[in-house]
Amino acid sequence: MLSAEEAADLIEAIASRQDRAAFASLFRHFAPRVKAFILRGGTDAEAAQEVAQEALIMVWRKAASFDRTRASAATWIYTIARNKRIDLLRRAARPIDTEDWLVVYAPEGEDADKSVLAGQTYTRVKELLGDLSEDQLVVIRKAFFEDKTHTVIAEELKLPLGTVKSRIRLALGRLREALEKDET
Amino acid sequence: MSRHPAPDELLLDYAAGALPDGPALAVALHLALAPDSRRAVDRLNAVGGALIEREAEAAMDDAALESVMARLDEVAVEPRAQAPIRRPGFEWAPAPLVPHLRPGLGWRRILGMFDEIRLDLPGAFHRVSLLRLEPGHGLPQHKHAGYEYTVCLQGGYTDETGNYGVGDFAVGPGEHRHEPIADPGEPCIALIVVEKPIVLTGPWGRFFNPLVKRGLI
Repeated sequence: MLSAEEAADLIEAIASRQDRAAFASLFRHFAPRVKAFILRGGTDAEAAQEVAQEALIMVWRKAASFDRTRASAATWIYTIARNKRIDLLRRAARPIDTEDWLVVYAPEGEDADKSVLAGQTYTRVKELLGDLSEDQLVVIRKAFFEDKTHTVIAEELKLPLGTVKSRIRLALGRLREALEKDET
Repeated sequence: MSRHPAPDELLLDYAAGALPDGPALAVALHLALAPDSRRAVDRLNAVGGALIEREAEAAMDDAALESVMARLDEVAVEPRAQAPIRRPGFEWAPAPLVPHLRPGLGWRRILGMFDEIRLDLPGAFHRVSLLRLEPGHGLPQHKHAGYEYTVCLQGGYTDETGNYGVGDFAVGPGEHRHEPIADPGEPCIALIVVEKPIVLTGPWGRFFNPLVKRGLI
């Protein structure tokens, strides 16, 4: 296992000295997990592996933009993998590199935006997922794993759009409540 | 706090990577200007991170690591990302908009009423435009066949649903007509993403609608 601290150290080692051994450790930990995550959406194994490999190469390229005070390594890698999934599976070619501007670039004119996802908070999110109701969890999982909008999810679950929206609002409300203490 | 934040379900769609390019750009611009919504998306991204961390490992091909390591020689570790540089006249543009502002893009006068820059997003089923309204001026009365997403980027505007300032987000359901009017002060600039062709409902509608349909307006 790799702790959140260790993972952040590895990314910083890539940024500061292009540390290939650090990259290999990150790859061994995250590439199989990213692949497993992508597989859940029904993607075939070969494409899921490609997303995982390309995501980790992007981790290497963008390592200097990682800021451990703003996001945990797993969260940062999630956003990169999500964008790679969009690039590789949903579209053939995009003239503009998909980047998560919020993660790659610090918000301008504001540096108080720290701590939201680092360390403790991130551990709490992991615990909190277990606390969500099954109804809420189904919607959250479908969104993240299957890359579907709430409109499509409502159709698939044969639920009124309003029901899906209120489940999402409840789930986000619980996340906010649980994390508010950490954020202030 | 933004008085008109994007709805939670749209933030989830964004964080999950499920939104098409047009609406995703609208949400990204809103997030760049609205700290509360940004924190909500930060939390959702952390959910994504937690879901990845909880995964059991899927076996990778044996050669996967070696082939990736071999490629690293050709991939530079890039310097820390800098805030993008805005062209003169576009100082108001939030960072996620800047890559879409290709050189040569300029305002175009439409119907003698407002200015537009049509953005060209790949594979978009949406019409994505920047609109600029002089204070006190409005858009022609119109309704939408599909969803419309609006993010205010400079100045402000008022319509039947309220008053919108910089960073505010509006989702227009198709059924009602609306007629936004720019507030006094600076010209109002907004990103507007429309799902399906707009239908003008004012007295000139039947003359102009065929042109709208053909994408000429």
